[in-house]
Amino acid sequence: MSSDYEISDNEGDYYDSDEMMEDYQNDDQDEDDMEMDDYNDDFRINTGPKRKSYEVDYTSLSQSSVEESLKEDVDHICGILGVDPAVAALLLRHQGWNKESLIEKYMETPTKVLVDSGAAVPEPAREPIVRAHSVDRSAAGPSSRRAIRSNSKLLSSLTLPTRSSAQKSISSPAASASKFRKDAKSSEEPESFVCPICFDDSPELKPVALDCGHSACSGCWNAYTISKIRDEGEHCIRCMTEGCAIVAPDDFVHNILVSDAAPPGSDTNENLVAWTRFQELLVRSFVSSNSKLKFCPYPGCTNTVSCPSATSKSVLTTMVPIVSCGAKGIPRSANDKKPAPSSPSGITSLYDKEHVFCFGCPIESDHRPVVCGVARLWLKKCEDDSETANWIKSNTKECSKCQSTIEKNGGCNHMTCKKCKYEFCWVCMGPWSEHGTAWYSCNRYDEKGGIEARDAQSRSRASLERYLHYYNRWANHEQSAKLSVELYAKTEKKMEDMQITSDLTWIEVQFMKKAVEEVEKCRMTLKWTYAMAYYLARGNEKDLFEDNQRDLEKAVEDLSELLESPIETENIPVLRQKVTDKTVYVQKRNEIVLEDTATGFLDGRWKWNVSVDGFEDPAEEVRID
Amino acid sequence: MDARLRRVNKEIADCKKDRTSNISLELIDNSPFHLRGSFPGPEDTPYQGGHFEVDIIIPDSYPFQPVKMKFLTKVYHPNVSSASGAICLDILKDAWSPVLTLKSTLISLQSLLCSPEPNDPQDAEVAKHYTTSKGSFEETARYWTHIYAGGPGAKDPKGSKNIRDEVAIAGLENAHVDQFEGLGFPRNKVIDVLRRLNYRGANVAQISEDRVVEELLKS
Repeated sequence: MSSDYEISDNEGDYYDSDEMMEDYQNDDQDEDDMEMDDYNDDFRINTGPKRKSYEVDYTSLSQSSVEESLKEDVDHICGILGVDPAVAALLLRHQGWNKESLIEKYMETPTKVLVDSGAAVPEPAREPIVRAHSVDRSAAGPSSRRAIRSNSKLLSSLTLPTRSSAQKSISSPAASASKFRKDAKSSEEPESFVCPICFDDSPELKPVALDCGHSACSGCWNAYTISKIRDEGEHCIRCMTEGCAIVAPDDFVHNILVSDAAPPGSDTNENLVAWTRFQELLVRSFVSSNSKLKFCPYPGCTNTVSCPSATSKSVLTTMVPIVSCGAKGIPRSANDKKPAPSSPSGITSLYDKEHVFCFGCPIESDHRPVVCGVARLWLKKCEDDSETANWIKSNTKECSKCQSTIEKNGGCNHMTCKKCKYEFCWVCMGPWSEHGTAWYSCNRYDEKGGIEARDAQSRSRASLERYLHYYNRWANHEQSAKLSVELYAKTEKKMEDMQITSDLTWIEVQFMKKAVEEVEKCRMTLKWTYAMAYYLARGNEKDLFEDNQRDLEKAVEDLSELLESPIETENIPVLRQKVTDKTVYVQKRNEIVLEDTATGFLDGRWKWNVSVDGFEDPAEEVRID
Repeated sequence: MDARLRRVNKEIADCKKDRTSNISLELIDNSPFHLRGSFPGPEDTPYQGGHFEVDIIIPDSYPFQPVKMKFLTKVYHPNVSSASGAICLDILKDAWSPVLTLKSTLISLQSLLCSPEPNDPQDAEVAKHYTTSKGSFEETARYWTHIYAGGPGAKDPKGSKNIRDEVAIAGLENAHVDQFEGLGFPRNKVIDVLRRLNYRGANVAQISEDRVVEELLKS
C-alpha cells in the first residue's frame, strides 16, 4: 500500500509541473501514465481499474524479488548503523527483521546487540583454541581484543587460499585474524594444524574460522553447514565450538558451499542444493516475520504474496483476503520448479490449478464469501461431527426425558435410560408405564405421552437435521465440482477430435473449458455459502442471502446439465450459444453473491447464531438450541 | 579414511590413554559406532561408589549431529527415565556442538548426576519425588545405586538385605505401604499407586486416605 501511495505522490508532482508547461497535452499524458503505472506493477495479478468489493489488493512476489526487498532492508540498516552488510543481515535476522526495534536497541547498547546476534565476540574474548583438544576450556586467555570487528573482512582473508605454504596456512586463522592476537599466540603456535573435529592433520588441510577464531578444516565446515541446513532447516549456522555464539554470515556460507573455498572432495550437487535451500530458508524467515507477507502454501512453490491490507486481525471480519501467487500446478519434484509467475506458461489444463489461498487463515483454498473465522468454525465442526452425526442419525434416539443419546442393543422395545433410569418404548418413545401389561399397545399413534416424547426428541433431532442439511449440500458441491472437472477431461478430448474432423477453429471449441471453469468456481462459492448460511442468524438478511444463493445454485445446475448434454457436430453452434449465454449468466449471479456478502461484511450486516471471534455475540433469541 | 571413523577411533584411543578421568569406552559387537561407555558415580552424591554404563550409538552424520546415549544402568534421577534410561540433556539435543567428544559428553553425564534439573524432567515421577522431599529422594537414589550400580549399602539397615526391597526402590515408607496393605490390597499394587501419587514427605498430609483407596480400587 505504502509504495503505491508513494508512486502516486510522485505522479502528482509530475502533473503539476506538466500542467504549467503544456496544458493541452494533459489528457494524453494522463493515459500514458496510467499505463506506466500498470507496467511498474508487473507482478500484480489483480489488475483492472475497478476492483470488485470482494477482491483484495495484493502483489505476488517471486523468491528473487523477496530477496531484493530483504537486501533493501539490509542496505537500509547498513546506512543507518554504519555496519557491514553481512553484520547488518545477522542483526536483522536476530531481531526478526524488525528494523525499528533493531535501530532502537542498537542505539542503546550496540555491543550487546552485536554479541546477541552472533556478529561479534563478547568483550573478554576467549583465547581461540586451535589445538586438537578443544574441549579443554581452561585455555581462556587474558587477551583483550576488540569485540566489534567485521565478520566479512576476516572471512575473506580466511577462506581464500592466500597462503601458499601449508606451514603458513596452519597459523593463518590466528595470524590473519588480527594483529593483536598474533603476538600473543606466536609463542604457543602448534607444530601443525589438526582439525579439532575430524582429527585430520594432513598438510593440505585448510583451516577455516569465523570471527571467533575457532578453526576447523574446510571439509568439516562444509559437512557441518550442510547438516545444519538440510537436516535441521536452520539458517543460523553457529560456530562449531561449544558455547561460541558467533553466527556464520551469508558470504561465509556461500564460500564454504559453492565457491573456491568449498572443499575439493565435497559433492558439488549436494553443495548447490544446500546453498539453494539456505537462500530459501532466509527468505522464509524474512517472510514469516513480516505480517504483510505470506509464503505460498502450495508444495514446491517458492512465491510469496504481499497483501498489506489484510494484516490486522480486525479486518478479517470485514473481508476475505483470497490471493494467488500466480503460479499454477504442483511440480513433480522439488527440482523442476515452476517458473516465476511473470512468464506465461501457455495453455494449462484444468488440473493445473492456480495457487489460490487465503491470506488471513490457513485454509488453502478460496473460501469466499464467508469470512475466515466462520469458515474455520465450520471446517472444525465438519471435522468433528459429520461422520458421527450421520451415524447417530441412523442408529440412535434420544431419551425423551434427559436427551442422552441411546443406541438400541437388543430386540426388546422396553428401554431403560442408563442415565436417568427413565423407562420408555423404543417405538413410540412414550413412557413404558402407559403401555400397561400389553407389550405393544403403542400401535395407536395419537397416544398422548408418545406425542410429547416425540416432540422433545424431534427438537433435539432438529439441530442435527439442520446441520446435516447444510453439510450434505456443502459436501455435494465439492463432489460435483470434482466430477465436472473429470467429465471435462473426457469432453476436452472429444472437442479436440471435433476440431480436427470439422471446420471449427480452436477458439470455437473453447467455450466448454470456460464453462467448466466457471461451474467449478461457482460451486466453490456455493459450497461456502452453505457454511455461511448454517451460522447466519435468522432474519430478513438471511432470507435475502438464501435467495441469492438459490438463484446461483439454479443457474449453476442448469449450466452443469448443459455441459453434460451429448455433443454432436451439427448441434455445436446451438450448444455453444446456449452454454456461452448461461456461462455469462452464472458468472453474473456468482458476482452478485460475492459482491452482496462482501458489502454485507463491510456494513456489518451479517449476524451470526454463534459467537465468532471479532463479531458481536449473538442475541439470546437467535442462538440455536 | 572416512572422517567419522577416524574421529571415533581417535576418541577411543584418547580415552584409553587418559587415566585421570576414569571414563572407559568399549566396543559392542565390534563396530566402532556402537559403544558402551562407563564412569564412576560422582563423589558426595547419592550415586557415589556406583558404576554407570551408557549405551552409545554414533549416527552417520556424527560429529555434526549428536551421539545417541542412554543409561544401561538403572538410575534414579529426575533427568533420566527410570524405565528406559533415556536422558534429558541439552547437549545431546539442540545444544550439541561438533567439538564435543564422547569423553566430554560422558563427563557431562557425570556432572548431570551431580546437579539434577527437576524443572526439565525426563521422569516426572522421580522429579516430583525430588521436589517434595529431597532427603527421601536421595535415599532412594542411593538404594538404586547400591542394587543396580554396585554401590555401597544404603545407610538404612534394610539395604543389607539380599532380597530387593520394592518399597525402598519406589522411594516409599514401609509404614505407609503396610497401612494400605492392611486394608486388603495386594502389596505391589499399593506400591504402584503410592508411587504414582507421590505419597511422600509433606504430600502425605495432603493426600487423603480415601483418595488412595479410590485409586487402588480403580486399578
